[in-house]
Amino acid sequence: MSFLQPWMLLALPLVALPVIIHLINQRRFQTMPWAAMMFLLAANRMSRGYARLRQWLILLFRMLAIAGLLFVISRPLASGWLGATAGGGADATIVILDRSPSMQQIGTGSNSSKLDTARRQLSDALATLGTSRLVLIDSGDSSARELESIEAISDATDTGPAGNTADLAGMLKTAYDYVKANRVGRADVWIVSDLRESDWESGSGRWDALRDNFASLPQTTKFHLLAYSEPTAQNRSIRVTNVRRQQQGDTTNLLVSLSLSGDENNTAEGEFPLQFEIEGARSETTIALTGGSAEIKDHPIPIDSQLVRGWGRVSIPADTNPADNDAYFVFAEPAPRKTILVSDDPETSRPLLLAAQISPDPNVAATAETVNRDQLATIPWEEVALLVWQGDLPSAAEQKPIDAFVQAGGQVLFFPPKIIGSQQAYGLSWQPWISDDKGAEVSNWRGDEDLLANTISGASLPVGKLKIHKYAGLKGEYTPLASLDEQHPLLVRANRFTNDPAGNRDTTSLSGPPGIYFCTTTPNPGDSTLARDGVVLYVAIQRAILRGSEALGDTRSLDAGASEAVDWRAVSVNEDAISSQYGIQPGIYETSQKLLAINRSKAEDSATLVSDQKLESLFQGLDFSRVDDQAGSLRSLVNEIWRLFLIIMIVAMIVEAALCLPQKRTANEGAATP
Amino acid sequence: MFTGRQPREFLDTKILARLAGMPLFARRAMQGNVSGKHTSPHRGASVEFAEYRKYVPGDDLRRLDWRAYGRSDRFYIKEFEADTNLRCCVVLDTSGSMDFGTTGTTKIQYARQIAASLGYLAVQQGDAIGLHCFADGIVKNVPAKRNAAHLSLIFDTLEQAIPEGPTQLISVLHELAETIRQRALIVVISDFFVDPAELRGCFEHLRFRKHDLAAFQLLDPAELEFTFQRPTRFLDMEGGPAIFAEPNVIADRYQTALNEYLKQLQQIVLETGVDYHRTRIDEPFEQALMRFLVGRTRGRGVR
Repeated sequence: MSFLQPWMLLALPLVALPVIIHLINQRRFQTMPWAAMMFLLAANRMSRGYARLRQWLILLFRMLAIAGLLFVISRPLASGWLGATAGGGADATIVILDRSPSMQQIGTGSNSSKLDTARRQLSDALATLGTSRLVLIDSGDSSARELESIEAISDATDTGPAGNTADLAGMLKTAYDYVKANRVGRADVWIVSDLRESDWESGSGRWDALRDNFASLPQTTKFHLLAYSEPTAQNRSIRVTNVRRQQQGDTTNLLVSLSLSGDENNTAEGEFPLQFEIEGARSETTIALTGGSAEIKDHPIPIDSQLVRGWGRVSIPADTNPADNDAYFVFAEPAPRKTILVSDDPETSRPLLLAAQISPDPNVAATAETVNRDQLATIPWEEVALLVWQGDLPSAAEQKPIDAFVQAGGQVLFFPPKIIGSQQAYGLSWQPWISDDKGAEVSNWRGDEDLLANTISGASLPVGKLKIHKYAGLKGEYTPLASLDEQHPLLVRANRFTNDPAGNRDTTSLSGPPGIYFCTTTPNPGDSTLARDGVVLYVAIQRAILRGSEALGDTRSLDAGASEAVDWRAVSVNEDAISSQYGIQPGIYETSQKLLAINRSKAEDSATLVSDQKLESLFQGLDFSRVDDQAGSLRSLVNEIWRLFLIIMIVAMIVEAALCLPQKRTANEGAATP
Repeated sequence: MFTGRQPREFLDTKILARLAGMPLFARRAMQGNVSGKHTSPHRGASVEFAEYRKYVPGDDLRRLDWRAYGRSDRFYIKEFEADTNLRCCVVLDTSGSMDFGTTGTTKIQYARQIAASLGYLAVQQGDAIGLHCFADGIVKNVPAKRNAAHLSLIFDTLEQAIPEGPTQLISVLHELAETIRQRALIVVISDFFVDPAELRGCFEHLRFRKHDLAAFQLLDPAELEFTFQRPTRFLDMEGGPAIFAEPNVIADRYQTALNEYLKQLQQIVLETGVDYHRTRIDEPFEQALMRFLVGRTRGRGVR
């Protein structure tokens, strides 16, 4: 319980007033000669339990009445989660708002989503508590901005639903930066979230740094978590996994692959309706559910053969979370899959060329060519999907066109040269070769994402079967995708996009991590079995080419929040979306070159929650309190409960009066003569 | 009667004049030495017929009922009740507790008024009056006599009675039961603040000695109601230890103790046939006395 006027509690010692008056009264006794001592002696001998109890009860209720009055004027708040937050004491109130799609889940028996409820609850609570400075950090852009009024939390359009996954750690970092930069005295940080693991990434190392940062602040920072961890019920989500345009004779079809998943408890079987919208034309179909979910591969939708580039949407009927009921997609003629190979070693370049030239899709042609380093200027970069670079790392001059290429979405794969130079690129440099005659094996690799991810069917790539006889060392910052042991990686992704020594990643123009990879061995048969067991090499190369060609194509599918919306025009989007929020609102957008489909990120489909213990550990050592609320809850977080204390005071006074009433004189017949 | 003397403060001539019309009767047969208003255990020469008995030689022939002889040819003596005077002994408690009073008058003053009025009434109708003042023991002993000069001595004694010291009511009553000649009217005026169980023994002792026992229990309204508000240190008027008490706290138990005591006393006086009068000292003593006298009129005639 906390108080809006806590200083009134300083008057609490007044509660002792009845006792003091009682003691003073005791001191003010009168002396009287008395004849009937025998009755007084008898009265003293009698059991005095109740009489004494009554006296104490009277004192107690008097104290209770005074305490009740003091509590009434201290304006108490009924709020388990505010803890000792003395209202109005914070210099700044920082609201961290999770607007991710999962927050749009609608509560049972209401039509209010978690996000709406949270906004309303928070704005009501803050209106009661009062705040001098209100700062909002929402998951839309994770930047801090000051709000002029508390109502803006619930009313402003830019606090509404968004399609991107929240980055709670990043938002808290922003809060820390704000507190530090603005020299805020005492800050209250209110975190509103549904505790999805995808938003929290509780395993991330950033939390340790954050915890240390906040703990090292000289001023107090209190964290209040308003958690909406209610699990999903009766919810299904739709996602388009692949879209291809296929022309067979006179008919042109759009082959749409999609997956429909339901939550764990929703395992109904049967037909399920789907609505397709292609360029505004709608059609409906049904799919068969198996165990509550369904997967469709290449569902054909006939389209006009003239339509080579367009957009579409798949919708499912409304359920408890409207945010995952639509999936947007764009399609166009497949972009050319062109690979440029810069190599000075024919034995190495041959397997690479083969891997790049053989297209997995017969409808799409793949080409690859080898160029010399001095021919870089002549390469038509806009047609290239992948650059394979085997040799000394590019010099600063050579790196410029490569930077532009990567920035446009192109992928680069570096292999080590025969003779290691001292050149550095993207924060990484080759180290001397290491030989292993027996052939080192890959101890671990990332099967969940990136180039070595498992296949669609879930089978892992045979990376473990590779034998590496020679590999180069690698120095710098990177994200390992496959490692031989703890010190020696096999395949890594560069963390830095530029050679900025500060290491700041320029992500403004990138959708996701930069497509720069370093492989520490070569397909040369003397170095490794990459060429002999060619599956891994082929899949990795083809995946890199696919990513590159997707980025270079006319159309592009992006996760919400992955790219900044610059000069985007809405083609098909929720009508509530405002233009400044286009980057985080699912929908179809158009830029001068591309048609963009923005969807919620794949992580949003996972309903895993951060465990309570983990959550506690994230805020260990910090002043943290948590309250659980439900979507659609009508119960206010913060209630003024002075009425309760008023009632207590009145009851105490009535009971005190009743106890003070002189007892009915049962037998004063003694006054009369018999 | 009192001309030339300082008027006694406990005597009110108007009240005495009003009470004079009401005779003081004994409830039991008395053994006086002159004729009076009270029944006697012996046959005598009153006008009230008692019984016939057979003539025995030596009987006064004037008391032979000739009519009865004419009817039955046997000699019968006609006997009549005897009327005698009584000895009224007032036993006055002069212990310290009798100095208590919150209504402008103290118990001792009230007791003096009752005792003096009773004495006056007794002497006026030819009865003897005696006075026994006691506290820790018998303090003053004035034997019963029936002349007017003796009454003056009684008044003097009453005037000089000073309430002080502890009460030894029980032993005093036992002692008086033995020392006063049989068949007297004994009027005890006290607050009777002793154990009722012990009082029972005294009353039975007096009854055994064929005394007609009357008791005036004088109680102050403050003692009955105990309506104090402030914490009070009660000093024992008979020299016992003082008691500090919070009246609000102790009042209930005080009342319980008091009521228990009164109930027991009531039971005892009923069982021992004591003419008991509980008297609040804020009540005019005339009323108390009138009630006493009227009650005795009804109970008269027991031989």
